[in-house]
Amino acid sequence: MDERRTVWVLIVVLVGQLVFLAVQGARGGHTRAETVGLRLLGPLARTVAAIPRGFSDARQDMKLRGGLQEENRRLRREVEELRLHLLRLSDVEGEMRRLGEAVRYGTPPAGRIRSVDVVYVDYASWLRTLVLYTGDAPARKNQPVLSPDGLVGRVFAVAGPYSKVQLITDRAAGVGGMILRTHRQGVVRGGGRGSGALVLDYVPLQTDVRVGDQVLTAGIDGVYPRGIPVGTVVKVEGGGQLFHKVELAPAVDFGALDQVYLLDYDAVPPKLKENNPSGHP
Amino acid sequence: MATLKLLAAIALAALVHFVGMQLWPGFARVVDVFLVVVVLHGLQGSSLSALLVGLVVGLLQDTLTGGPFGLFGFADTIVGYVTARLAQRLVIQRPTGVLAVVSFASALQQAIVVGLVLVLLPSPELPSPVWVAVRAGTCGLLGLAIYVALGNWRRSSEARRRGRMNRLRMN
Repeated sequence: MDERRTVWVLIVVLVGQLVFLAVQGARGGHTRAETVGLRLLGPLARTVAAIPRGFSDARQDMKLRGGLQEENRRLRREVEELRLHLLRLSDVEGEMRRLGEAVRYGTPPAGRIRSVDVVYVDYASWLRTLVLYTGDAPARKNQPVLSPDGLVGRVFAVAGPYSKVQLITDRAAGVGGMILRTHRQGVVRGGGRGSGALVLDYVPLQTDVRVGDQVLTAGIDGVYPRGIPVGTVVKVEGGGQLFHKVELAPAVDFGALDQVYLLDYDAVPPKLKENNPSGHP
Repeated sequence: MATLKLLAAIALAALVHFVGMQLWPGFARVVDVFLVVVVLHGLQGSSLSALLVGLVVGLLQDTLTGGPFGLFGFADTIVGYVTARLAQRLVIQRPTGVLAVVSFASALQQAIVVGLVLVLLPSPELPSPVWVAVRAGTCGLLGLAIYVALGNWRRSSEARRRGRMNRLRMN
């Protein structure tokens, strides 16, 4: 093919891609090409991720054999403490239910969690992401992803058993957050500059925010339920004329993720969904 | 045969990327193995093939990054084409030439991706210029190492082939 034709092919390919990018931005969803890519690369990523996991499991087994008795004693103690804690919580739950019934307050559903494997995580570069292997039961788009420490992100694209997750540290991600101490709400976003930090926006200057304050999900964004740890305030500055500039350290260590939990939770009531079939909150 | 070699190179690049990310989480920030494959293929001089390979490899890379899907597809298409055109116009024989071309291609790719992100996203996160430079340099070095290794391997296999032919003639 002569060079002039190649230039035309280049122009067509580039214009096509620009249209593709623009349309995708308007729809805000993932594409079929992304699904194909995930299906192609997912198995390779899973294989590579399984190798060190196998080594670490074997090492763990060796270590455990030595201290099984001690481990057993410690776990028994922990179970006893947790049982006591559970008793106290059940009591509080019952009390809450009774009080809720008195004022006709409907408790939001808690949702169920399911453990899935992380096969690829890139939290260090500026276009960060995470890929999960969910097995036979695929994830749902916008499903919250958690770790035992707190909120990780939401499922962004699903390709069979593989799912791509938008991390909360992504600049484009937004989470409805709430300062635990004062219940003041704001929007948590990725901090940018590759720092891996988070910022809490729209917290008015007259609000009392202190370093060390815990920030949880507020349950106002239609994606995440209330009460999941998001991060801790590490810096507070009087930013603009109206709002504080609040910086958070994420609750989750993204470098230590090898398993996460998918939360089966319907943020939007089914009746509302019927009126809004697109599913966008 | 050439297509198979190319597919093997892409698969190997993906494998190196995944292993690198397992060993060191900052791997993707420092080096882009996919880009090196695109540039080394582009250096063979066929601009149509280079732009198509750039498109495919870029879209695969998009699968492993956040942000809008297609950023790297767009950037690598241009990088593949520009590299092939450079190879048509310049005689790149010295390994240092390959180092310069791959580093330039990496800087170009990152500039295009940043430009697109600025146009497409309202308040985007941008990479630090230091890391852009580090990534360009590392890609250049990796490209150089692969180019030298491939050259040595080609020469040694050619020598072996000649040796076999000579032995056959003597028999």
